[in-house]
Amino acid sequence: MTLSTVGIESIAEYLPPHVASITELSERGLLRGSADTLRSFGFESVHLACEESNLDMAIAAAEKLLNESGIERDQIGMILYAAALNSSSTLWNGNGVSRPGSVLDLGTVHDLFKYPGSVLQTELDLPNAAVVGINQVGCASIFAALRMARALVVTEDNLKAVLCVSADKFPSGQPRDLAYNLVSDGACAALVRRDAERNRILECAQVTKGALWESDEIENEIIAAYFPTAAALIERTLASAGLKMDDIALVIPHNVSLRSWEILGRLIKCPPDRIYTNNIAKVGHTIASDNLLNLKHATDAGLIAKGELMLMFTFGYGSNWACMVVQH
Amino acid sequence: MKRASILLTGATGAVGGDLLRKLAQRDDLTVNVAVRRKGVSPVERVRALLSHDQIKATVNVVEADIGAGPMLGVREELLRDLQRETTHIVHSAGSTSFTLPLADARAANVDGSRNVLEFARNCPALECGAFLSTVYVSGKRRGDFGESDFGDAGLGFVNSYEESKAEMEEMIRSAMNDLPLILVRLSTVLGDSTTGRVSAFNTIHHAVRLLYSGLAPMIPGDPNDPVDIVSSDFVCDAALHLVEHAPRPGVYHVAAGRESSNTLGEIIDETMNTLAANRPSWRKRSVEKPVIVDLDTYELFVKSVEETGNQVLRNATRSIRTFAYQLAHPKVFETRQASAALAWNGIAPQPSLAFYPRVVKYCLDTNWGSRQ
Repeated sequence: MTLSTVGIESIAEYLPPHVASITELSERGLLRGSADTLRSFGFESVHLACEESNLDMAIAAAEKLLNESGIERDQIGMILYAAALNSSSTLWNGNGVSRPGSVLDLGTVHDLFKYPGSVLQTELDLPNAAVVGINQVGCASIFAALRMARALVVTEDNLKAVLCVSADKFPSGQPRDLAYNLVSDGACAALVRRDAERNRILECAQVTKGALWESDEIENEIIAAYFPTAAALIERTLASAGLKMDDIALVIPHNVSLRSWEILGRLIKCPPDRIYTNNIAKVGHTIASDNLLNLKHATDAGLIAKGELMLMFTFGYGSNWACMVVQH
Repeated sequence: MKRASILLTGATGAVGGDLLRKLAQRDDLTVNVAVRRKGVSPVERVRALLSHDQIKATVNVVEADIGAGPMLGVREELLRDLQRETTHIVHSAGSTSFTLPLADARAANVDGSRNVLEFARNCPALECGAFLSTVYVSGKRRGDFGESDFGDAGLGFVNSYEESKAEMEEMIRSAMNDLPLILVRLSTVLGDSTTGRVSAFNTIHHAVRLLYSGLAPMIPGDPNDPVDIVSSDFVCDAALHLVEHAPRPGVYHVAAGRESSNTLGEIIDETMNTLAANRPSWRKRSVEKPVIVDLDTYELFVKSVEETGNQVLRNATRSIRTFAYQLAHPKVFETRQASAALAWNGIAPQPSLAFYPRVVKYCLDTNWGSRQ
């Protein structure tokens, strides 16, 4: 067993049915910046979770995945529950309870021990799945989950399949634009298996710049750090895999602004037609679910042939950059 | 032998101030310093400039305004005396701002020079009139730029400073048939090669500061293109030597040239290394090295920043933009005539990386001049 035989076998998504245009967001006071700038940067609308909690979305995406993949539920040996937002790792949103203030503003001490991952396991009826939560990596949390799933599947003989799930719902009433990007709600689930028939993970890399943790205070530095760090990480990841950008058939991005991908594409010498940006306008940035969602849509659209290489990249606001090379 | 008498303009500027300090150490000169009244008296301004220096030359302060017309704002009797005794002129006054409207840049750099030229025409003992210019009169040219080349070759200029200086050169060139004039084209002056001391912080120093602050994500150019920077002591030694000894008329490049230049990639690497070596706490911030990008990409980034309306990032990109477009028009400044004139006195530019780290350290130690 080698790392390169582990892959993302199946993907499923959940996007809330309510679609809000930039105009609607503006009218509802859900933008702090300019609507025109967001439009100019390539955004049109986002999906807003209304009644759904982040846990509801996680269950919906994972249930869909289990049904579509046909895997026996007993074979799932682990759930890696990736919570990008701190609020996603608690049950306050999970229970659909909207409560202002700190996510640690809980009713009793017992609430500190209530986890959405546990609920997910029991709701999905996955009795053999150990649950591990992954957070503190922002939008890169699903990359961390996939990376760990890959490593665990290789090192633990009895572990056949890992379910990776990300689901994030932005706090209600908060502006949806963050660092000139438009945030959507949504969830994704991925099944990581050994001897996968598709999407084998060839290389993973992550950079953490801990000094950027104080994201509200140093937003300008974070924005400035984004491009050079992204370019350096992508270059390093490709080099580690013994590849060049020309070897990559398609870049599977996170759904930050189209403009930023125009710029980053130039920095990494990747032409625009090799970056899958179809979902940026209509879906927006679903925190941690973008890349899996885009990988699925690009696959469904027949844009990737068997054996072709893809590069997935994301940025976990404000201090994590993650990159992955996947072979379809 | 007649004692040399130098009229120096622009002494309150970066290069002019260094020239004054250098000249003041000579016991064989009279230095007439033309200075404007600005808040304090001209005498006070010059005294402040020389407060740490031993003065051996005869230094006279002349209250003047180069922009005030051919009389330089000096009363007639004094003007005639000055013209009678002046053997050398070093005209370093002008504006080095990259962001002035062209009319204002012309007023500072062309009109002022025209007035000094008129002054020179009435100096019977004039041996040399040196007009300080810039190698960037070359504008958007690329490749080699020689001392016998003039102007932008129709390719345009990056900023009003370059354009106004090129116009100034045109005027001086026309007068070279009648007068013993030289044009001394300076490269980008960074600081003292030994101490790193910076007389006036310019856009390069500010760019280093932006990089230090993590606000310089990209720089236009090519990592392999040469960047021409020189130390202030080399500039002073070279300029004064050329004024006294160089064949005239002539044009001289006081620049690093091909031999002493380093590449943009090397300069940026050295900046990162020097900042990290001198500020261990900065290293913890993991500031990423700026990406060197083509001009189109940089333009797209600048446009995007402008659209966001983010004032901090907008100021940062605008600051880099004022000089960085030169980086996208790389050139090598040929220094043959200057090298020949300077060689016998052992004056030559230091390799850029031999002094650049000291300048960066000086910027850090003084917090870009706020802790002088």
